[in-house]
Order: sequence, then C-alpha cells, then structure tokens
Amino acid sequence: MGSPRIACVSLPLFPLAARLRSEPELIREALVIVEGNGNAARVVAATRLARNAGIRPGATLPQARALCPKLVARPRDEECERAAQEALFEVAETFSPRVEDAGEGTVFLDVDGIERHFRGPTPELDLGRALLAAAEAAGLPARAGIASSKLAAQVAAGLPDSPVIVPVGEEAAFLAPLPLARLTPEVDLASTLERWGVRSIGDFARLPKSRVASRLGTTGRELHTTARGIDPRPLIPREPPPAFHEGMSLEWPLVSLEPFLFVGRAALDRLCQRLESRGLACVRLGLELRLEPDGHQTRSIDLPAPTRDVKTLLTLVRLDLEARPPGAPVAGFTFVAHPDRPRQAQLSLYGPPALSPDKLATTLARLFALLGPDRVGSPRPVDGHSPERFALVEYAPPPPPEVRREPRTGRGLLAVRVLRPPLELEVITEEARAEDQDSAALLPIEVRTLVSGTSDKRLRIEGAVKVASGPWGLEEEWWTEDPAGRDYWDVEIAGAGIYRIYRDRASGGWYADGIYD
Amino acid sequence: MARLSTVHHEDLAADSGLTPDAGSALHRLRASLPESFRSRIRSARELVREVREVQEEEEPLATAVPALDRLLEGGLPRGQLVELIGARSSGRFSALLAVLAAATGVGEAAALVDLGDGLDPETAATMGVDLERLLWVRPAKLKDALAATEMLLASGFPLVVLDLGPPPVRGGRGAEAAWLRLARTARAHGAALLVGSPYRVSGTASAVVLKAGRARAAWLGGDEGSPRLLGGVASRITLEKCRRRLPGQTEELALAPKEAPLPAAPPPARPLRPARREEAPVVPLVLRRAAAG
Repeated sequence: MGSPRIACVSLPLFPLAARLRSEPELIREALVIVEGNGNAARVVAATRLARNAGIRPGATLPQARALCPKLVARPRDEECERAAQEALFEVAETFSPRVEDAGEGTVFLDVDGIERHFRGPTPELDLGRALLAAAEAAGLPARAGIASSKLAAQVAAGLPDSPVIVPVGEEAAFLAPLPLARLTPEVDLASTLERWGVRSIGDFARLPKSRVASRLGTTGRELHTTARGIDPRPLIPREPPPAFHEGMSLEWPLVSLEPFLFVGRAALDRLCQRLESRGLACVRLGLELRLEPDGHQTRSIDLPAPTRDVKTLLTLVRLDLEARPPGAPVAGFTFVAHPDRPRQAQLSLYGPPALSPDKLATTLARLFALLGPDRVGSPRPVDGHSPERFALVEYAPPPPPEVRREPRTGRGLLAVRVLRPPLELEVITEEARAEDQDSAALLPIEVRTLVSGTSDKRLRIEGAVKVASGPWGLEEEWWTEDPAGRDYWDVEIAGAGIYRIYRDRASGGWYADGIYD
Repeated sequence: MARLSTVHHEDLAADSGLTPDAGSALHRLRASLPESFRSRIRSARELVREVREVQEEEEPLATAVPALDRLLEGGLPRGQLVELIGARSSGRFSALLAVLAAATGVGEAAALVDLGDGLDPETAATMGVDLERLLWVRPAKLKDALAATEMLLASGFPLVVLDLGPPPVRGGRGAEAAWLRLARTARAHGAALLVGSPYRVSGTASAVVLKAGRARAAWLGGDEGSPRLLGGVASRITLEKCRRRLPGQTEELALAPKEAPLPAAPPPARPLRPARREEAPVVPLVLRRAAAG
C-alpha cells in the first residue's frame, strides 16, 4: 500500500476571511477583526490596507485607531466563521468524499487517486489549482498544500505561492529548511529550542530522539517525530451535517423589516449556493434571531417541496416576520436549512411535458405563503354523504404517460357547484297532507335567502319554486352526538337556476348547499 | 420616425411584389443599421407570418366537450385567454370540469383556481378528472385568485382554469391591467387559460369569449304518483368574441346528472354563420333514461 496523499486547504487570517465572505463590500476598507470588549479589544486579523498602516495582530483597538483613523473594526463573529468553515468543507467535498474538518478555516482531504482526473504534466498541481479556484468561487481566498501526511500538507498550505506540492517521500526534506515556528504554534517550545540554537525543523530532526524526550517530555517527542516527516495521525472524515447554517451578527440592531431582508437575502444566497453544490434543496427553513438586549427567538418555515429558490424563501421569511414580528431589535440571525433531495423529473419524448419539479416547488411555496396551506393541494373525496366534505393532500402529480393518450369524449355530466358554507334560507312550504307533519309531506313553493351580517355579500336565492323534486333523505353518523339528518330537494326557481336545498331535521332550518351548474 | 414610416411602406410594397425597386429597401435599411438593430426591423407581413406560424405550431388542447371543441375549432388555444360566461345553472361549471377531465385524462397537469370554492372532489372524479394531476387552489379574494393564476401559468401548467364562482364575484371585476398580465403570461408560457365568470371580466385581454345562455331544465316523472327527477339541463353556447372569426356561432350544450346520463349523441353540426339574435330556434331537449327506482 503506497503513501496516502492528503491535501490541506486553509484560510489564512480565518476570522477576517469569514467576515469578508459575509460583507464583501468591506474588502477595500482598512478593516480589523477584534476580540474583546471596549478599549481592551485586541486586533486578531487585519486587511492589507490596515497592515500597510502598521497595524499588527495583538494591538489594542485604540492603538490601531491611532495608526489609521479611518479604520473599520468588526468583532469576531461565530456565525460568520461557522458558515465559512462549513462552506470550505463543502468545497472540499466536491473533490473528495473523505474530508476532515480541522476547524479554524482548515480542512484535510484524501486526494489519493483524484489527480488522475487531471491530464496535464503536473496533475497534483492542477488539482491544487482547481481546489483554490473552487474555494475562490465560494468567496474563500484559500491556500492549499498536498503531501503524504497531514502535517506536511498543513505546513505546505501555510506557505506563499500556493498551491505547494510535496512529492511522496520528500516530507522530511521539505520540512528541514523551514523555521520551527511553521511546525508548532506553541511559541514557548519554539523559543526554548531557539535558545538551544535549534532554528530550523531540520536541525530539530537531527537531534537524538531519546534526548529530546527526556528534556521536552511527550510534547517534545511527538514534535520530534513530526519534524522527521512522520505523521501518524490518520485522516478522520466528517459526516455531512444534518443542517446548513448561514448567518451573522449585525453591527447595529435592526428594528425594521426591509434592512433585515436586505442582509438576509445575501445569507440565503450563500445558503442556496451551498445546497446546490451538494445537489440538495431546502425542505424546512429555520430562522434563529438574537434579540437586543437579550433573548432568542426561533421559528421554522415548512416548505411543501424542497426548493433552492432564494426569492421564494425570502418571501416566506417576510410573510412569517410580518405575521409574527420579533418584538425587539434583531442583533443577529442564523438561517438553518434542513436539506432534502430535490424532486427529479424524467423528460418524455412523446408524452405530455412534465412540470419542472423546481418550479412547481417554488410555486407551491409561494401559493402557501399567499393563501395558506389549507387552501392549496390536490383534492380528494372523503368517505361519507355530506357533499361539502373534502380533503386536500400534497400535490405530487404522477409522471405523465410515455405516450400522449387520445382524449375521450366527455359524458356530458351535470356538475353541482357546492356552496361552502351552506346558505341559510327561508322557505315557504306547502303541506301536502295536513294530518301528517312529517317532512316528507312538505313541498317548497317559495325560497328566500336569509340576510345576515355575513351573508350580505354572498349569493342570493329568491323566487317562486317552479319545480321541486324530493325529499331525498340523508342520515349520517347517527351513532354520534351530532348526527346529520337532512331532507334534500332539487328546486328550480323561475329564471334563477336549479338548486339543491335541504331541511335540517334537528333544527328545522333550511339551507342551500349546491347549484346545478 | 418619418424615415422609418417611409421604409415601412416601401417594405410592404416590396413584400407584395408590386415594386421590385422597393423590394431591396428593407435590405438596404438593414445593411445601413448597426448589427444589433438589424434583427429588429420587420415588415408587417413578416410579423403576421411569424404570429401565424407560432399559432399553427401549437396544437390546441381538446376539451372533450363537442360543443366547445366546435366553437373553438379543435380545443382551447394554447397561449391565449378564453373566457366562458354563464349565469347560474348555465352549465358553465360542468364545462370547466369537463375541460379539466379532458386535460388530466391525457396525462397533462392542470390547475383549478376556484374563487367560488365550489368543487366537489367526488363529482369531479365522477366526471373523469384525474384528481392526482389536478391542483386545487381556493383563494378567498379575486386579487389573490389573479395572483395565484399568474404564478401557476408561469410555473409551466399547460392548463389553468380560473372560476370566479356564482355572482356576485368577490372582489368585483378586477383591474383590466391584471387580465392583460394574465393573457401575456399565458402567451409567454404557451399555457391555455380558461376563465369562467358570471359576466364579462377580462375585457380586451381575452382572445375568445363564449357565453352560455339561460339553462332549460328537463324534469322526469311527477305524474301518477311517480317522483319527479331532474333529468338534465340544456343551454346554448354562443361565440361572442373571436379574434380570427366572426362571432355569433352557437352550439347546444346538454348535460345530465350522473344518475341519469344522457346519450352522448352530438347535436347536428351548424353552418359557420352568425346566429339570428332576434329569436334563436329552440332545440328540444330529448331525454332518455332508465326507469327511476
């Protein structure tokens, strides 16, 4: 078994890179990322413009402002960094299924054999360039290194003129001339070794292993092993996340909706790009709001079908926030996309065209937002006899037939237009048999709509009954406490249509529940 | 502007073959224009030809209602707005459901925007509507109904039926601009849009307007103690407006309840001429039905 090939992709000045990914307009400013509060805040990272002004990491914010009056300062933002880390991980996953998340803007990939996809004379170099281009497209200015161990790859990724390729078996030779600071971020140990006159990694590797172990302990022994180009740590691939996060802390708390949607749109754009890169779509969108001065609010928006349409998601967020305002200024937010596979459609050569699953999902989501979920769907009949009953199920049409069917001639059936809710009527009846008070003896002879507050704008039925047919009995759920007992008539009202009316046996009230139309 | 107008006339003449010199006017004009403008110059004849070609390419959507298919010359034209007007019990709703049944029956997806909220799924299934392929949208206001219809047209549904329910329509007639938007969206996506309304609402946006006249009901039984039964409804559908033909053609629409299906014998074909408005001949509704009960 040959040596594994591992690529390391890392973001230099990670807090700054993560912030600039969320606020790309700041790239031309003298920007520093600070950690801490007030005047004690210290610079963690700075843009080139700020560094040219003499600002260095570790300086306090007042010192930095003294050097550059136009300085823009941003605090470290966990949300931005988490989203940037996830995005970097997803970029790496487009190259290899085995990716380790090392945190702080660094990922390792198992790229053994992947260089075969690149036909040029330097396939690993081309692979490194492709990694950098993919990261750049995701808004991440990364550096890359490829070697046979994680350590060598990480050191290579830290060097300028990226990507840096370390040939197989040359790890020790590659590391030897580099300063010890490249090997260990632990400043104390590096400075101790420097006092001993050990300045480069090669110098350190030449020291006897047992002497190093006796003087520097376990840490020194492990460091000595790595300085010789031996890295026993295996690559530990991470499972894909169950949800995708994108968000940021806001410089100023927002109190109105439009500015929030403005920054939210950019976050949703990035979120959908990440989903697209993995062939996924969002089936449920969560929104976590951090409120000023304290407090959190979490809300969830269910989508009728997986979608990646930013406009639709933004519309749903707007409607949700309009319906339930947060009630306090928003100081930060996180969108959480729960992924699912988007629906696929097979195109047909000879049959009717299928609906585009993406477009359908988007349209359904917008219709849900406009009308509500109980007003959009595929209709289904419900067991029972009450004509106003129905059920709505999720609209997921089957694929169209492979060959277009010939249309059949209609049967010429007369449909009933259902009135929901039934229209309350005043009906003058004629008693066919005076001695019998049973409803079967009643015959409607005149119908008039009962005008109430709610029915003012509704349909009105008025006039003398020309022909009446009935009664037709309906009994349902007699075993329950609220059984339905109705006597139906079909009535034709002179010049005003044919209706289906009924008399409720329990209350004696008259209603119209359908028009023959 | 004057120059363009002059060229337009020359161009027409050239296309008609009257003046050979003017025939090259269009070519000369195109040659004198920058590259990006050349393709925008069209003669009236070219425009008409293009529109006709597009219309001929699109096969109409058969409605499976013989009366409608005859009036619409084969079915609902794709990319156009067709309005079907009808008062209560005119058979309008039945015709809309029959159109949905025909479209879903051949495997097309269809959407019903039901402002009146009058669909009974069981009736629709009995009429042949494939409920799995039907998207039912139940808006409460006309404004929402128009917005939903536009979304559905833009999403690729080949047939969208908008029913405004019985009068009075919730939300009035809607703005003329909204109907024009719908017609334009239908045209852009090649979708057939059928609007059912109790009175004219779409104004100039509709390509075809059909009107279902007052219904005539046929009752069975009622003598010698036998119960009365609704045997069917007949109405006359008139072509009120058509952009390509003279209006006035009429067809008979006969419908029967599912318990008493009418024989599916089509009424005799009528000549393509405007009907006399003063007194339309009444076609007797002949009902044949199995003995009740």
